[in-house]
Amino acid sequence: MMPLTLLRNGEKGEIVDFIKKGKAIFCHLRDMGINVGKTVEVISNQSHGPILLKIDESRIAIGRGMAMKILVRRL
Amino acid sequence: MKNITVAVAGNPNSGKSTLINAIAGTNLQVGNWPGVTVEKKTALLKLENIQVNLVDLPGTYSLSPYTQEEVIARDFLVKEKPDLIIDVIDSTNLERNLYLTVQLLELDIPVVIALNIYDEAQKKGIIIDIAKLEELLGVKVIPTVATKREGIKDLLDAVKTVAVEPEKFKVKKLNYGEDIEEAIKIVEEELKIKKADLLSQYPSRWLSLKLLEGDKLVLKELNLNEDESFLKKAKHHFIEAHGDDMESLLADLRYGIANGATRDVILKDDNKRIDITEKIDRIVLNRYLGIPIFLLAMWLVFKIAFDFSKPFSDYLDSLISGPLTKWTAYALNSFGSAEWLISLVTDGVIAGVGAVLVFIPVIAVMMFIITLLEGSGYMARVAFVMDRLMHTIGLHGKSFIPMLLGFGCNVPSIYATRILETERDRKLTALLVPLMSCGARLPVYAIFIGAFFAENAPTVLWSLYLLGIVMAIVLGFILKKTLYTGFAPVFIMELPPYRMPMFRDLLVHTWQKLKHFVIKAGTYIFAVSIIMWFLLNTPYGVEKENSALGKLGKTISPVFEPLGFGTWEASSSLVAGLIAKEVVVTTMAQIYVTEEAEQKEEEKGFFEDLRDSFLSFILAIKDAFGNLISGFGIKSLALEEEEEKTPLKSKLQGIFDPLSAYTFLVFVLLYWPCVVVGIAMKQEFGSWKLYGQALLIHSILAWLVAFVIYQGGRLLGF
Repeated sequence: MMPLTLLRNGEKGEIVDFIKKGKAIFCHLRDMGINVGKTVEVISNQSHGPILLKIDESRIAIGRGMAMKILVRRL
Repeated sequence: MKNITVAVAGNPNSGKSTLINAIAGTNLQVGNWPGVTVEKKTALLKLENIQVNLVDLPGTYSLSPYTQEEVIARDFLVKEKPDLIIDVIDSTNLERNLYLTVQLLELDIPVVIALNIYDEAQKKGIIIDIAKLEELLGVKVIPTVATKREGIKDLLDAVKTVAVEPEKFKVKKLNYGEDIEEAIKIVEEELKIKKADLLSQYPSRWLSLKLLEGDKLVLKELNLNEDESFLKKAKHHFIEAHGDDMESLLADLRYGIANGATRDVILKDDNKRIDITEKIDRIVLNRYLGIPIFLLAMWLVFKIAFDFSKPFSDYLDSLISGPLTKWTAYALNSFGSAEWLISLVTDGVIAGVGAVLVFIPVIAVMMFIITLLEGSGYMARVAFVMDRLMHTIGLHGKSFIPMLLGFGCNVPSIYATRILETERDRKLTALLVPLMSCGARLPVYAIFIGAFFAENAPTVLWSLYLLGIVMAIVLGFILKKTLYTGFAPVFIMELPPYRMPMFRDLLVHTWQKLKHFVIKAGTYIFAVSIIMWFLLNTPYGVEKENSALGKLGKTISPVFEPLGFGTWEASSSLVAGLIAKEVVVTTMAQIYVTEEAEQKEEEKGFFEDLRDSFLSFILAIKDAFGNLISGFGIKSLALEEEEEKTPLKSKLQGIFDPLSAYTFLVFVLLYWPCVVVGIAMKQEFGSWKLYGQALLIHSILAWLVAFVIYQGGRLLGF
């Protein structure tokens, strides 16, 4: 288990858990499809700035700080 | 005549607005949801003998209360109880879209699914079992391709059926599992006893679920407490088994249904891994190429906007200042109107409103291209690329979008701050937007650059645009440390796939942006032109210097003394520029150009003028396209040197020197945002306070920067 930010470009991971701080924002992420059990692919992760994820057919950009709180298992 | 209400719901980027446009076409009305700044689109349609009131709900991912859009959508559905919901679904992204569908089905309102972007799903090799999906959810499913108007007729047929035989659309209850269903029952029973009145107002299943979830907004509205004994009783064994997060539990359950349905209905999915969007993103979002590509794109935007629209602007200018003025004066004269009235109409109204109209081509073209960038999906990428930079001024990437729009006109930018999540971000962005040099400042630059810097025109012009951006960063940094402390909220943004927007949609959206400008600016500037004329002509017949405007100018001119342009003419033009920045030039023209300088009109008949203006319009079109392929430079910026010296230009050369002229331009760039921006701010933020702040902050900023440039320039010996 590790933060999403550690996945490199093109790597995939399964979302395992969220470090729950500020619950509402996580609910919003969940509603956008970023949910425990989903597989995400990192499209762009550039050591600074936001991260771009692909989940199913949607591409979602998330600020780095937020992405740190999403825990994944590398696939 | 039967009356029904149809709500259109769906995820963002599901092609919902294209579908709405395809259904409603020109009947579409754009307004605001009451009390909030979220756009509301409605249309009245007639289907045979049925009157359909079509309401577009904001694009949402869910009906939970986490965003303003979600609350609006669910309030409308729950309180207005439409007769039908058209649920627009992106066929290529079924699971997440069905998550919303599952929630819509809790409302006990008939639902029809528009399985949109169906052609793309087919192209990607996704085969969906439509009959199965209908069976699982108990709703009618209609494949649609909004861009090609496919399936629209079937959708409208469904609407007709709902109106005539609503019983055909009985909503099927999705089974949430024994435990939940049991809990819902307990709550429903309790509500029946204690709050029977509520059940007639709200869909009971939805209400019970919200109470179980502990939805704060619903609890508050019903005057209930989360620890209500019957709720505790209903939730009792969930809390023992899963902890007290009923909200997440129910969300998981809904996702489970959406996921299960998706698996069941997708017969085949040979999704080819690399699609075009991914290929483009690899280049456009590349850490080294991202910003250079964006700058190149911006250069193209400016090139097209300036070069393509210049001939049309010139054409309008000559039409307004030539035949229109001439023939209006002629007509008024022949009715025996007083001299002052003719002057008011021609020098006041036509000159004032005309000054704005002349810039409509530039703004329209710029809006069109920006709409194209938005519709194609590139704008969202710009926000992504710029996010890091924007954080240095306490904002996130999305704030960059309104600022970009500001190069066309600051007014739509103020409205565009709606895409931001918090009030602080919206206000801070709105305060920085006026530093983006809008189209209205161009006429001022054009006349001064033509008079003083003809050889270095492009450099001087770019330096002004750049200075605006630099000052936005500086001001953003200062405001972040003082008035608007705090952080930008978390950056979350969906990047839509690249799509070629439909030309018709582009035109519609460009017009919607432009309409604001034309109508608001038009009516407003009309009124203000009259006021300016009176100020310049009271008492009637005196020297302009002694008019009300002249006296006002004289009073404040000492303020501008250290900046190098402490004349009453410059000061009163600057004051007039509050109305709209291009008015600076029109006022100067009114002041400086005395009667003897007026050129003699060629004697031409009305029809000759009409024919001439038609011919020159054709010429303008030819020039516009010619300019587009004129090569690398921006042609219209290299202000032609052979351009004749207008009386205004030679007057200016006598009054300003190059340094004070440049300082004047810097001041015009940075000083108080125009009143039209103020009105937009008032509308968006509910009070004049923000505009007050803007007036103060920008005036101080402009004065300080102009002071440094003028005094610094003098020290350096310019």
